[in-house]
Amino acid sequence: MSLIERLRSTLPGGPPAPSGDPLLDELRVALSPDRVKVDGAQRSLLGKDASVFDGGNSGPICYPTSTDEVAAIMRIAEAHGRAVVPRGAGTGLAGGAIPLGGPVVIAVTKMNKILEIDEENGVAWVEPGVINLDLTRHLQPLGYHFAPDPSSQQVCTIGGNVANNSGGPHCLAYGVTNAHVAALEIVTAEGEIVMLGGLDAEPDGYDLRGVFVGSEGTLGITTKIAVTLTRNRPAVRTLLLSFESTRDAANTVSGVVAAGIVPAAMEVMDQRITQAVENYVNAGYPTDAGAVLLAEVDGPEAGIDIDAERIRDIGLENNATDVRFAQDDAERAALWKGRKTAFGAVAQIAPDYYLHDTVVPRSKLADVLDEIYAIADRHDVLVMNVFHAGDGNLHPLLIFDGREPGVLDRIHAAGGDIITASLDAGGVLSGEHGIGVEKQKYMDRLFTDDDLDHQNRLRRAFDPVCRANPGKVLPMGHSCADIQHLRSVPAEVWG
Amino acid sequence: MTAVLHTSDPVLTAFADDVGTDGPVAIEGARTRWSLGGPLDDSARILTAPTGVVEYTPEEMIVTVRAGTTVADLHSELATKGQWTALPERGGTVGGAVAVGQNDFRRPARGEVRTSVLQVRYVSAEGRIVSGGGPTVKNVSGFDIPRLITGSLGTLGCIAEVILRTNPIPAIERWFASDDTDPFAVHAALLAPGAILWDGTTTTVQLVGHGVDVDADVTVLTSHGSFVEVEPPEAPSGERWSLAPADLPAVPELGIGPFVAEVGVGIVHAATPQVREPLDPGVRLIHERMKNEFDPAGRLNPGRVVGAH
Amino acid sequence: MDLKLDADDLNTCVQCGLCLPHCPTFRVTGDEAKSPRGRIHLMREVQNNDAPLTDEVIDSFETCVQCRGCEPACPSNVPYGHLMEQARETLADAGEMTPTWQRLAFKPLANPTMLQAGSSALAVAQRFKLVPKRLGISEELPIRRKPLTPTGNDVYFFTGCVMDAWQRDVHAAGMRVLEAAGIGSIPTNELAPCCGALHAHAGMAEDTRNLAGTMMANLDPDKPILVDSAGCGAAMKDYGHLLGTDEAKAFSARVFDIQEYLADHVDSLPEVEPLDLRVAVQDPCHLRHVQRVHQATRTVLAPFVRELVELDDDGLCCGAGGAYSVLQPELAGDIRDRKVAAIDRVTPDAVASANPGCSMHLGAAGVPTIHPMELVAQALDRGPKR
Repeated sequence: MSLIERLRSTLPGGPPAPSGDPLLDELRVALSPDRVKVDGAQRSLLGKDASVFDGGNSGPICYPTSTDEVAAIMRIAEAHGRAVVPRGAGTGLAGGAIPLGGPVVIAVTKMNKILEIDEENGVAWVEPGVINLDLTRHLQPLGYHFAPDPSSQQVCTIGGNVANNSGGPHCLAYGVTNAHVAALEIVTAEGEIVMLGGLDAEPDGYDLRGVFVGSEGTLGITTKIAVTLTRNRPAVRTLLLSFESTRDAANTVSGVVAAGIVPAAMEVMDQRITQAVENYVNAGYPTDAGAVLLAEVDGPEAGIDIDAERIRDIGLENNATDVRFAQDDAERAALWKGRKTAFGAVAQIAPDYYLHDTVVPRSKLADVLDEIYAIADRHDVLVMNVFHAGDGNLHPLLIFDGREPGVLDRIHAAGGDIITASLDAGGVLSGEHGIGVEKQKYMDRLFTDDDLDHQNRLRRAFDPVCRANPGKVLPMGHSCADIQHLRSVPAEVWG
Repeated sequence: MTAVLHTSDPVLTAFADDVGTDGPVAIEGARTRWSLGGPLDDSARILTAPTGVVEYTPEEMIVTVRAGTTVADLHSELATKGQWTALPERGGTVGGAVAVGQNDFRRPARGEVRTSVLQVRYVSAEGRIVSGGGPTVKNVSGFDIPRLITGSLGTLGCIAEVILRTNPIPAIERWFASDDTDPFAVHAALLAPGAILWDGTTTTVQLVGHGVDVDADVTVLTSHGSFVEVEPPEAPSGERWSLAPADLPAVPELGIGPFVAEVGVGIVHAATPQVREPLDPGVRLIHERMKNEFDPAGRLNPGRVVGAH
Repeated sequence: MDLKLDADDLNTCVQCGLCLPHCPTFRVTGDEAKSPRGRIHLMREVQNNDAPLTDEVIDSFETCVQCRGCEPACPSNVPYGHLMEQARETLADAGEMTPTWQRLAFKPLANPTMLQAGSSALAVAQRFKLVPKRLGISEELPIRRKPLTPTGNDVYFFTGCVMDAWQRDVHAAGMRVLEAAGIGSIPTNELAPCCGALHAHAGMAEDTRNLAGTMMANLDPDKPILVDSAGCGAAMKDYGHLLGTDEAKAFSARVFDIQEYLADHVDSLPEVEPLDLRVAVQDPCHLRHVQRVHQATRTVLAPFVRELVELDDDGLCCGAGGAYSVLQPELAGDIRDRKVAAIDRVTPDAVASANPGCSMHLGAAGVPTIHPMELVAQALDRGPKR
């Protein structure tokens, strides 16, 4: 670009110079030239999210600031026969936000306003680009928080939480995102602005709001969300239980649930990850324990110790070698910091990891864990286990150095076996990461053809033109438009 | 390779055969909410869903139950292990409660129906058994068919069997009433009441939890008015209004006669029906497409339309 | 193009994205090309896949404040600061970044006489309202400066370039506080004219290495060197990495931020009546994210003011970034707006910042910003506790 051109491009006002590409020109008029990016390097950047999958170059990247702009992008994309992929912070682990076939990307990061706190109705209206932890911090002085707290909560967006039906350690008692969304404004693939759900107790019609949450961007894009406010609990008790084996820890978890206690969180870490964490942050975890269980109960002050002490007793019945109550907020924070930086700790051991996500019945946790260790041995990969034990949500971490020849094949093979072992135990494919492109090929292991056919009907009711994040969730042959039918874009189009 | 959710349960297969592949058909439960969604077309063949608790694993806090089972039978079995579900006990069946999707009047204590249906099996308009969701308490594997079916009034499929999340019955449940208190101040003051009902004069509060927690809440209550302990109230009856929680203080001015409002929730029980706004055109379009996708010939529960007013 | 980045360092990033909210330019633009993850991706594209150096790529690198707020947030310990400095050095050497006028502008920093003369001229110009606002200089620059003289022989007190020219009062306050703790200091003055931080940020690392060499040659090898500018301290603590010699590593180990050093001597300071102020601590990035000794500021400051309050923004950068506020005024202003909002939320009487760049940048937005040493010195000047 010459100096003159560069100067001109920064001048305000006036229509942008035509680029020769009608799609791009229309998008630039609908937004503004500086909010539509087509640079090759940027499009390759948005080809990836936090997963191992690469969608190749995206199409134009749009940064809308309003619902109307999102609707305009949708209509323009449809008129040009192009698919649309929404993107928040790009922290998904199943490839749900990667662009397939050069779609238009709608990045919602500039739609990041907390619009209204409506205490009387118990909701906050937010834009999709609001960061999860920012919202909770904003609510704290009022005595509330947003309950879903995924490990990525410092960066992931509420829009992304809605798309993935995100969970987190404290969803055991409070439920995942779907339990915390009252209403959603969405823009459909046809560019229609529609409000789903409502603030009233039982909105009319099909529960389209509930259906939309967790649909991974395939039913449209959300532009405004009413999330429910969760009251902060006045008292909290955090316990750290040590065990000789993961089996004892897992049995304690089943025992607690069977005893009718619903703790706020129950997280288990095996010895390998506990040692890595302790090495990394010195949170006070016992490195000689075979496994640790981090349990937390919260609620009114009066009865808080009843459940905490019962968890201790159940742990002791299951051979706990040590039970420690966090004495103050600092100790509690240190323990949680250890848990939440587990993935960072792993990076000290090898540069790459593949984080899996399956759910099994709680009573099968111990058996499936044994199976996972055996699978890792069989494929000669290193596995560490840190997981939301309370709801049976396993997160085996396969640790490797991607530069080692052939290692990815072994990682994928081990991952496939872990999924099979989980399904064989009566589990499901994903507890919180979603299907994306990662687990499409396993969908027919869980569902019958009829089941998948009906899921596709649901999708078509929202998006008959099949342009909202195509090629995700449903496996080939069950999706309304297989990705190869989408017009892909030659790399040279936007240089 | 057989899919994990495939079922060859002969009871369900027989139900699918009953539904068949053509002709209008409707499933009846106990007909406690029979008029919802409009009058059933006379042409419909009326069937009942299979019954029975298939599998109950209290340590997993889930129960697999066939749709024709009454909620009362289900709950009496769960009570043996100190558990219950979010389904309201109004004399109806499990399938009916899921198809209707309305919550118990003690919703804060009981939970929501829509979040408690983990897996659903239904017979499709093509006479096929379709499963959605899964048997675990946490699951984001694919589209949320259970959410779609819950509250669909049987217009998308004939509910055959569900897996429900169960919850522990709290150690203590006590009810208190007062004629001289502000129910909304009580709602703001209590952390997690089981229910707060208000008829314009009397505020009736359910406290649940550990005994010591309930005792502490009683202290809070007495600082807000002269509460006396009462017997658990009957479930409110009549027409059901769905309002936003912030709309409730103005209910007495609506002139709808005697009412009972669920404070903090927004449901109002009254003698007169609520005049509801028609669905937004954009929402209605998705509804029409959904019905057409799932039941193109219109054979499921003909006459009934979800969200029609 | 080979950016000469260490392949292992570049490989460390796993694209998890946890850095995004800690990056000031991503926060204000929402553009992933202006995030650490994005910049690392672009470095890989350029170095490994020979992607063209488009304007967008250069802009992505040029807009990085180099605050390194991403580093503590990174679970994989990606050495982002070093990657960015190396990328800039390679690009500057290739003529792709840091044009000649910028290179010339940094030269006088190493020459105290020229800098002081230029600064005095600027001060005179300022009196006549001739200084453009985008330079972000708010306070009145001193036309004449009182020379700093040694107070003892225990430690060196690093005086540096711009700060000595513009904020010598802060140095005087720091030396005064050290003296009160019984620590005599020697101002480095012409012994160490400049730390070279701004040069390194601009990709002129060779200049930095030369300045480091001069400083190491001139300073007595067994005295601690105290620094009251977070940016300079961070740069000097990095000489070990930059030069790679044992001598440089030993030198870096002797460098302390003044608050860091005083935190171990706070009991030696006299007990005085605290200033009646509610003070918000604004951590300079190079103190918090690079040196990671920001807690010391609180330890030292707490006894001398009525109340210390924390900002709720996780130490997000204020946008000053050395010369950044001049080179990228628009982004620097947007970033500062966030910081000012965070400051407003805690309603302080004053903001304490241990870096001259931050205090000038915030001062230009009307925020009453003061160096923690000046606050301590003021409290000490009021005499013993009544």
